[in-house]
Amino acid sequence: MLPVNEDSSRWVYRWAMLVTLLTFPLIWLGGLVTTHDAGMAVPDWPGTFGYNLFLYPWSAWLYGPFDLFVEHGHRLLASLVGLLAICLCVVAYRNEKRTWVRNVCFLFLAAIISQGVLGGARVLLDARTAAMIHGCTGPLVFALGSFILMACSSDWRRATQDGSRIPVSRGLLRFSYLLVLMSIVQLFVGAQLRHAQPTWLPPFFTSIVHTHLLMATLITLSIFGICVLVRTDHNRRVMELRLPSNMLLIVVLAQVALGLATWVANYATPWVELTPWLANYTLQGKGFWESMIVTGHQATGSLLIVFSLWMVCRVATRTKKAEKAQPMINDTTIHQEKATELVAVGSTV
Amino acid sequence: MFFDIHHRFPRFLQASLWLFSTALGMVLCGCNSEKIEFRSNQLHAASISMDLTPPDIRQLADRAKGATEQLLGTADLPTWPASVLPPIDMEKVVRSSGPVGRDQSKVERGLFRKHCVQCHGISGDGRGPSAALLAPYPRDFRRGSFKFKSTPIGKKPTHSDIVRTLEQGLPGTAMPAFGTLSDSKEFVDDVDALAHYVRFLAIRGEVERRLLVALSEQEVDESTSLAILTRVANDWLAADSHSVQRPEWVANPSEDGRMESVANGKALFESEWTACVKCHGVDGSGNGTSQDFDDWTKDWTIRAGIDPAHKSEWKSMKKYGALKPVIDRPRNLKLGALRGGTSRGDIYLRLVLGIEGSPMLPVAKKENGNPGLTEEDIRDLVEYVHFLSENTRNISLSQEVQHASSE
Repeated sequence: MLPVNEDSSRWVYRWAMLVTLLTFPLIWLGGLVTTHDAGMAVPDWPGTFGYNLFLYPWSAWLYGPFDLFVEHGHRLLASLVGLLAICLCVVAYRNEKRTWVRNVCFLFLAAIISQGVLGGARVLLDARTAAMIHGCTGPLVFALGSFILMACSSDWRRATQDGSRIPVSRGLLRFSYLLVLMSIVQLFVGAQLRHAQPTWLPPFFTSIVHTHLLMATLITLSIFGICVLVRTDHNRRVMELRLPSNMLLIVVLAQVALGLATWVANYATPWVELTPWLANYTLQGKGFWESMIVTGHQATGSLLIVFSLWMVCRVATRTKKAEKAQPMINDTTIHQEKATELVAVGSTV
Repeated sequence: MFFDIHHRFPRFLQASLWLFSTALGMVLCGCNSEKIEFRSNQLHAASISMDLTPPDIRQLADRAKGATEQLLGTADLPTWPASVLPPIDMEKVVRSSGPVGRDQSKVERGLFRKHCVQCHGISGDGRGPSAALLAPYPRDFRRGSFKFKSTPIGKKPTHSDIVRTLEQGLPGTAMPAFGTLSDSKEFVDDVDALAHYVRFLAIRGEVERRLLVALSEQEVDESTSLAILTRVANDWLAADSHSVQRPEWVANPSEDGRMESVANGKALFESEWTACVKCHGVDGSGNGTSQDFDDWTKDWTIRAGIDPAHKSEWKSMKKYGALKPVIDRPRNLKLGALRGGTSRGDIYLRLVLGIEGSPMLPVAKKENGNPGLTEEDIRDLVEYVHFLSENTRNISLSQEVQHASSE
């Protein structure tokens, strides 16, 4: 394992933070494109109605139809993220000492370019299938950007260099890996629902909905399981696991609520006669709140993948230590080590 | 090796990449790349030819679909024969059809696939991908029957009836209101174009059904097909002439007078003459003893000799696209969500015209010497239903009604 130079990684971290923070709104805009079926609002690519992408009149963009506004905005933001990803690669190439991190940065750039090409193929071929793949891979690119951020974070450095000697259970690691896997599968299933083909028969769509619900239940239970695991046995002493597990819990609860709201916003509630309000509620076709709820459910799904990956990072960097060092370290050893550290800090002061 | 530094994350990343490529491959392989075209009406073919084998039923349905396509084109490019007077604007129909998107002139196409296809299906058969999960099921346009309209049962709805449903939606159902789209001229045009396309699908579906019947008996030539289309088109052309205007309603200015009207309406509601309580229940909450299926269900069940209440009988029709038969529940009037509209004018239309395809029949009017309700009686009944549907006032006003009745 090569040492991580904190100073050299800091700039990579900052750039990765910038790119990742911009990728999330890009996911939102992409979700709005799907919600408003705006993928073909601009019939040409890479230009916009014959103009160069960056030279399309802003008044025609901002004051034009909403689907054109969303689609062109998605393309502009994607271009910006692509340019910033190039900058990230340059910064990583010049500053990052770890070869594999540099390689992941280049992989990230390649993924963003591929996303752009896939988006272009969706327009030029007018293929909903390409739109669905584009919608599936978008959150994965977001997760890759977030992974660079995690790899350059101070927590990663501390965990891999200074070495937390508190072992983390392998069960937690397995659970975390499983959660990432299930979140990605759930993303794919959800993308199928979002890009349902008009020719699908009702039983097929129904089976996908049931799969989505089953996966949602499994993911929610897994997150509850992780939250319990980080608070039991020796895991409870690793305070760095608390934040990602708490965030996972918040995100999954929000996601379940958004999922229910998405169903109501799309298809109304099946129990309309429960209350007069439900009975009288009329859905608004392409309404603002309906669009935001549906798109928010999709965007939060990508956050779930990122936070699952975050959990994996925090657990795996610590589990590895436990394997190499001692399989179990008792409380006395930990107290002794902490006491030694305190003495060292005291002497420095 | 690409990742040779950190022994666990490289493996994890490699596993993720492998998983990603595999899943992508699965998505690509699983993608439904079939051409988008109208679906044949196998369900109707099966219901009129129960003695045929499944392959023969499919073949019959495909032949009817082919003959309909020759007349009215495809899902991507609808057409209309020059020799038949169209009741619809074909330019708007073409704009609403086909894949979603804008052309270089920024005109949007594919409005039906953008807004409607998910529930109503590509042929307007009410078998869109999400149909099985909705309550009530999305409307099947192919019988040419619509519930909420200003024309009597058996007559086609007017263009403005369909625009009205599109703009206002149906409360408590998955049918949204596209009123928000009316904010700009483009969206007003969109709703108008969609209404034309809905009528086109209804005409197309009805022509296909009639062709199915004709083809089940003999070969059909072009002139027969054109004659069938002409008959269906004429029905739609005549829709406006059957339209009943919503009455200008002048509410009784005095509360006492209104309550008296409500009390009279209540008596009529509970009388055997109107039989409202049979379905809607004594208190109007929809808990009457009569439970029935709608005409869209009866079309492929009871009329084909199948009992919709027994799965062992109707499940044989599932392979032709049938959804589970569901009881057409009478409206709970106390909830206020009257899908045909909540104004007194809307309620009046529902009473005098009924709701096509449902067990809700029009009230018998006293005219030409026939016994029935007078105009005044109908207005009292409207007042009572309107009073019931104002659910926020139910508790206090019900006491007033009882008081007025006792007086």
